[in-house]
Amino acid sequence: MDAELEEKKLLALRKKIFLTGYKGGMAHLASCFSCLEMLYSLYMMDILRLDPSNPKWKDRDRFILSKGHAGLALYCVLQSAGLISEEEISSYLQENSLIGGEPCMRDCEWIEATTGSLGHGLSMGLGIAMALKMNNSPAKVYVMLGDGELEEGTVWEAILMAPSFGLSNLIAILDCNKIQKMDFVENTIGSPGWADKWESFGWHVEEVDGHDPQAFKEVVMNSQGHNKPRLIIADTVKGKGVSIMENNPNWHFKLPGRKELKVFKEELGITDSELE
Amino acid sequence: MNSAYIGKLMELAEKDHDVLHLLADSGTGYDEMFQKNFPDQIFNFGIGEENMVAAAAGMASVGKKPFVFTAGAFLAYRSLEFIRDDVCFQNLNVKIIGMGSGLSWSSLGPTHHTTEDLAILRAIPNLMILSPATPRQVSACVQAAYEHNGPVYIRIGMNHEKEFFDENYQYDLRINDKLKAGKDIAVYVTGSILEETYKACEMLEEDGIGVSLINVSAIKPFNKQDVLNTAQNIKNIVTVEEHNVYGGLAGIISEVISFNGIAARVIPIGIEDVFAKGYGSQAVVRRANKLDSVSIYQKIRKALRNE
Repeated sequence: MDAELEEKKLLALRKKIFLTGYKGGMAHLASCFSCLEMLYSLYMMDILRLDPSNPKWKDRDRFILSKGHAGLALYCVLQSAGLISEEEISSYLQENSLIGGEPCMRDCEWIEATTGSLGHGLSMGLGIAMALKMNNSPAKVYVMLGDGELEEGTVWEAILMAPSFGLSNLIAILDCNKIQKMDFVENTIGSPGWADKWESFGWHVEEVDGHDPQAFKEVVMNSQGHNKPRLIIADTVKGKGVSIMENNPNWHFKLPGRKELKVFKEELGITDSELE
Repeated sequence: MNSAYIGKLMELAEKDHDVLHLLADSGTGYDEMFQKNFPDQIFNFGIGEENMVAAAAGMASVGKKPFVFTAGAFLAYRSLEFIRDDVCFQNLNVKIIGMGSGLSWSSLGPTHHTTEDLAILRAIPNLMILSPATPRQVSACVQAAYEHNGPVYIRIGMNHEKEFFDENYQYDLRINDKLKAGKDIAVYVTGSILEETYKACEMLEEDGIGVSLINVSAIKPFNKQDVLNTAQNIKNIVTVEEHNVYGGLAGIISEVISFNGIAARVIPIGIEDVFAKGYGSQAVVRRANKLDSVSIYQKIRKALRNE
């Protein structure tokens, strides 16, 4: 696919995420926008081995969005990949909807782990990777974490144990947007030095531009053959794609007011009728 | 009870290779034997209970049947959110075995006591809770947990609990065990405090008081009908548990009685909403916290005098 078409698809997805979240009345837009290209790459560029007709195919790759607050982006990409329906997405946050604010296994068969409380996904992914290894399955387990999420202690229990269990089928993806809910990560915990930390725990670490889906795919796919669990640190911008939201901690869990809405409309190409 | 547990687990592991023995650096004392026989079915997660519980949920999502084992306090308290969100909310087939129920870890103090676990875990949907009293009952509860496709918590003692059931014991978690059938008062008990309670009941009988002694191993689902039947004829219902008097067996039975509009009195005997005091053997710490047979007897006598 040429780059221009890809750009268009990603813009359409951003628009969809915004409109769905705005109409639903609640969304972590900035978090969704920082990981969108990677979700697109995973589901739309043939990284994940899935059988669209069988969500529970035993040798499918698993993806866990441990930073569950970006669930709306995941659901929109699942819809774009044809795995859930337009009708389902449109019901986002309605009373009887199966599309809520965080990914939920009970509600959607394509969700591999219920997340929302941070610090759970890597451990669940570790258990899945262990079980797949026991079964001699070729499937891989991808877990996307936020950099703020790495402040949760349980994540480090999993980071510590994954190499000792020999889990080369476990790939952590760090959506490193440098902002957590209240502030910049660096203002909260100092300079994190994630690569050195994970490497010292026995992981193979690579870095990539998280907004370049092709580059992301190349790193994910070309890293095959390592006998360690892998971390891909994706350099991202929180709120990517809307200038007033980019790199601004105020936007963690906020929808635009009237003046701000104008910027969203202009930059995402949204018409008045689409907002209704 | 640990030997009863591991014995049954090995029996299951031999028949079903999806049965896994997960540890967090605190074993049963018989794990080398398990390791020797089933090296691919045992994993030590190190001192990281939360990670172990969440990983067990992940394993169960692939069809494995993990039995997570460590001190009950580190599961029920430290790993609570992981039990709730990852195991119970996702309704996954994980068995959580809390070793050292109540005051079993006596001398290590309240950080190791498991005296609020029933109250905390009972409020979580989808979780079956079993509280066996004897080694044979541990074995039966592990079998029942294996046969149940969903989350189960089993709290087990660890100090050579006396056996009350013979080799023909047929366990049915829908039925409570009636060990005495007197007509004056009913004593409901759960877990390894059964032995002390049994002795207390014998003292009451020596005083001419007819006692029904009912052992409850299924905390959830709970056999409500048994309590309703009992309360038709017996109006003083004692509960004995090595647990806070709030939220555990006393709580369950009080709920059954009040929810059904039954006129009966519940006499709760347990840890009286404190962190247990004293050090020494479990027998000593039980005595210090008035959960030995004489104290149980005296509390019941006092309550009956105050009718």
